[in-house]
Amino acid sequence: MDTKNMKMISCKEVLANLSSYVDEEVSEELRQVLEEHIAWCRRCRVVFDTTGRMVKLVLDSEPFEVPLAVSARLYTRLEEVLSEN
Amino acid sequence: MGEGDSVNSGEIGAGQDDFALVQRVLAGDHRCFESLVRRHERRVFRVALAVLGNIEDAEDAMQETFIKAFRHLQQFRGESRFTTWLTRIAVNEALQKRQARRDMVSFDDSREAGEKPLPQRFEPWTADPEQLYGKQEIRRLVETAIQALAPIYRQVLVLRDVEEMSAEEAAEALGIKVPALKSRLLRARLMLRESLGAALEEPRPLGTRIVHSAVRMRNMMKMVLTRAAGR
Repeated sequence: MDTKNMKMISCKEVLANLSSYVDEEVSEELRQVLEEHIAWCRRCRVVFDTTGRMVKLVLDSEPFEVPLAVSARLYTRLEEVLSEN
Repeated sequence: MGEGDSVNSGEIGAGQDDFALVQRVLAGDHRCFESLVRRHERRVFRVALAVLGNIEDAEDAMQETFIKAFRHLQQFRGESRFTTWLTRIAVNEALQKRQARRDMVSFDDSREAGEKPLPQRFEPWTADPEQLYGKQEIRRLVETAIQALAPIYRQVLVLRDVEEMSAEEAAEALGIKVPALKSRLLRARLMLRESLGAALEEPRPLGTRIVHSAVRMRNMMKMVLTRAAGR
């Protein structure tokens, strides 16, 4: 995104950069522009804050464990295959 | 912990990276393959589940992935990370499996366009969700919300936000371009935020809820009266 002379940007443009911002993949200049926007725009501030927290929550919750029975059947099957080779 | 670091120090090949383990398997030490499986089984399972949406099919795809990886191990030349190579196999196995059952189940990949405009929820979240729900319940909430996403969004979200693959690696594993991956990821995150927001938003003060209920009631009355007047 071209950030020259871009002091004010719309919520739509801010939202388009949400993921990159959360992943810390935006330029310093764009980061400042986005942060200026979210400082005065309550809605975008909530969306940015909750999205950042959500990404962390998803990672920390360690979803989708392999069920023990599924894991056990995998090793049994692999043992068969490996012993054939 | 980087790729190839071993979780269990008693494991065969502990401390060796994936590439070294692959070389040992190729040299005939098949026990090292089990170490590779232990390191990557969870990722392969999650990826298969993200594509297929149910545990039974994900189990089949996971088994086929590791068998195929073992039989074609000589094709892994270390140009990309072993993780990426293996994930690509898992994605392909799962996609093939899904293709095979396509006539049995209705699919929602075509939902890429046309969903409700996002975002729609603008209330802050409670400060400490784990205090409110506990770790197990949070995991269940996250799993349910991810499972409810359409497969194209679920896949990118799992690779990026659960498996922490880079955008480039995730795009390579899914066989799509990086801009497409990024655009799907944004949408996936926004949808998941909406879904989790329902459980994690701060409870609104009673006064605000009363005002909102009164407004809803007034609108409903207005609608009813308008309809009645039109008869």
